[in-house]
Amino acid sequence: MNIQALLSQFGEKYLLALLTTYKLTASAFILALILGTVITIMRVSPVKPLRVVADFYVQIFRNIPGSALLIILVYALPYLNVILSYYAAVLIATTLIPAAFCSEYLMSGMNTIGTGQIEAARSLGMTFLQSIKNVVIPQAVRSSVLPMTNLLVATMLTSALASQVPLNPTDLTGIVSYINTHAVGGVTAFLISAILYCGTAVIIGQVGNQIDRKVRILR
Amino acid sequence: MAQEQNKTERSEQTPVIELRHVDKHYGSLHVLKDVNLSVQKGEVVVIIGPSGSGKSTLCRTINRMETIDAGEILIDGEHLPEEGKKLAQLRSEVGMVFQSFNLFAHKTILDNVTIGPREVLHTPKKEAQEEALRLLKRVGVDTQAHKVPAQLSGGQQQRVAIARTLAMHPKAILFDEPTSALDPEMIGEVLDVITELAKEGMTMVIVTHEMNFARRVADRIIFVDHGVILEENTPEAFFTQPKTQRARDFLNTLKGRDK
Amino acid sequence: MSAANVTIRDALYEAPGPKTKKRIRFFTVVSLVVLAALIFLIIRQFYVTGQLDAKYWSLFTRLTTWKFLAGGLAGTLKVALVSSVVSFAIAFLMMVGRISKNKIVSWISTALIELSRGIPTLLFIYFFFLVAPQLGLKLPTFWKITLPVALSAAGVVAEVLRSGVNAVPKGQTEAAVALGMRDATVFTKIVFPQAFRYVIPSLISELVIVLKDTTFAYVVSYADLMQNARVLISNYDALLSVYLVTALIYILINYLLNKASVAVARHRSAVPGATK
Repeated sequence: MNIQALLSQFGEKYLLALLTTYKLTASAFILALILGTVITIMRVSPVKPLRVVADFYVQIFRNIPGSALLIILVYALPYLNVILSYYAAVLIATTLIPAAFCSEYLMSGMNTIGTGQIEAARSLGMTFLQSIKNVVIPQAVRSSVLPMTNLLVATMLTSALASQVPLNPTDLTGIVSYINTHAVGGVTAFLISAILYCGTAVIIGQVGNQIDRKVRILR
Repeated sequence: MAQEQNKTERSEQTPVIELRHVDKHYGSLHVLKDVNLSVQKGEVVVIIGPSGSGKSTLCRTINRMETIDAGEILIDGEHLPEEGKKLAQLRSEVGMVFQSFNLFAHKTILDNVTIGPREVLHTPKKEAQEEALRLLKRVGVDTQAHKVPAQLSGGQQQRVAIARTLAMHPKAILFDEPTSALDPEMIGEVLDVITELAKEGMTMVIVTHEMNFARRVADRIIFVDHGVILEENTPEAFFTQPKTQRARDFLNTLKGRDK
Repeated sequence: MSAANVTIRDALYEAPGPKTKKRIRFFTVVSLVVLAALIFLIIRQFYVTGQLDAKYWSLFTRLTTWKFLAGGLAGTLKVALVSSVVSFAIAFLMMVGRISKNKIVSWISTALIELSRGIPTLLFIYFFFLVAPQLGLKLPTFWKITLPVALSAAGVVAEVLRSGVNAVPKGQTEAAVALGMRDATVFTKIVFPQAFRYVIPSLISELVIVLKDTTFAYVVSYADLMQNARVLISNYDALLSVYLVTALIYILINYLLNKASVAVARHRSAVPGATK
């Protein structure tokens, strides 16, 4: 099947699939940033149980395979009377895993600041909140640009989990499977999705590099 | 109420910095043993001693960069509390210059100097910047005001750190081995700035390994070993006729190193 | 001096005074209570839905269950291992291509690396599972999972290797050239062995990603740990418990791999580029 025939038959579905992937990626990424930040605050807090729980969270979700998590959310939770929609299950899986990595990146971003600058802020008479606002957050944010760019791409790749559940409209990976089981889409269907994924990843990477170049902190 | 009383009790003789019976442990290690020290206004006290003697720790307890287990610390007659706004306020009155400069890496040199006054003293921006430029000129790095710390040499960074501290109009400045992280050719420029401050009557506590500098700048030498102040003396007396055997040994090992 | 080994995690808050200590104690107690309540609610939910019944968990007291899971794990490890080797080989070629002085070779290699890094593993799997047969490429099940996982990892591995090569000091190359070595010899004998050693921790971390990706083997019906877990589920009618235990096995293996990576990195923390 050539590209024209493919697009005339499945063009609209492709557009919806692209939008599904983008929507999933964007919402999961924002949720992961929020959750990752909360987890990080817990991990650096002086309250021991919060630290332990947040550390535990990170170890679980950076190590669990995405498919295993999705399967548990979709097929196992109903046994506990927790029933999620397919979309919600995919969104949760695509959020929980990147949130763990987000926290890891924030932790290493904070570690590059060094204890000396915190002491310097303290010695100037800054309170805890002032030193966080003036020294820790600006530096952690600025040194997290590249990791967060990678995280956004990783979130997009993780969102392909959507192809493993019946979603309508499906995502960019699901549509390849759909077309290939409904018609002989062949290589073309695969290539369109591949190029859309990869093109998006390259653009995200470029934008990330541009921002990073502007805000990078010389050390 | 207590503060008011403190203020009325304060006199010309009130030391700017006073340590009373200060004790500190790191686990089983007893790093400070019953340390008593008072620094008068305008006095330059230089703390020397072998590495691991506790001299740096002693200096860092004064603004509670290090906690103490027992004893009391007073800043200009006011009790240094263990936490809270009062601690932050007293810290703002005592400057500190660190071994590794500790400039804020994401801020320009100018912002490094203005951030203290802006955030802590609530100085208006323009005023803070004018003063910062004046101070940067004084330490000789005004031409670098719009660069970031990583673009400066170690000596320049340390001079900026001194300007940052001066911008807070501190009652005293603590120097924790200010030249130990510097290349030899940059040590002089930093020591010159400190010497200048001493001449202007700044109250200072300086931990250093630079003996010639110590002898030149100090009003009083404190010799510390194993967490104990073994000797307090004038620089002349200390360097020519140290009272204790350990101070003599220490000075001899330095001579042995052809220093 | 004392601050040398302190991470930001401990330096962020200064040593607490008595009031702060009291506040920390308060929040510790509160968080413990909340935590206990949460754990209680979860266990209660297991209990009221009958998921704590012995019939769902007794299968894990049988050796045959573990033997069967181990068999699946062997399949998983086989895919992971072969994928890693294949992906390393592809990655090596792409990396050499990317740093090549030939502009066209370099451009093509860069494009391939971006493709590999920018496409989800599942899409690669569908290519080998659904598309390749239409092109007349009939692969055994094992390769239908192993090849896509390898291709998906190769781009990242190539970039990891390149960062290692970049971390090797230029002086090494110059010294070798001065000794009269040919470019290729310098690269294979001097530069690459060092680069490889720098990036061992990152390569171990990449194993985790490969291992996670192998769980998609069920798409092509290859008998891996996940697939065997499904068989157990239909035999014992115990879905929740089997999936939880299976997930735990994956988490444990990956956790250990990450630990190993950190240990190796720490072991050679003095080496530049080892942190990348």
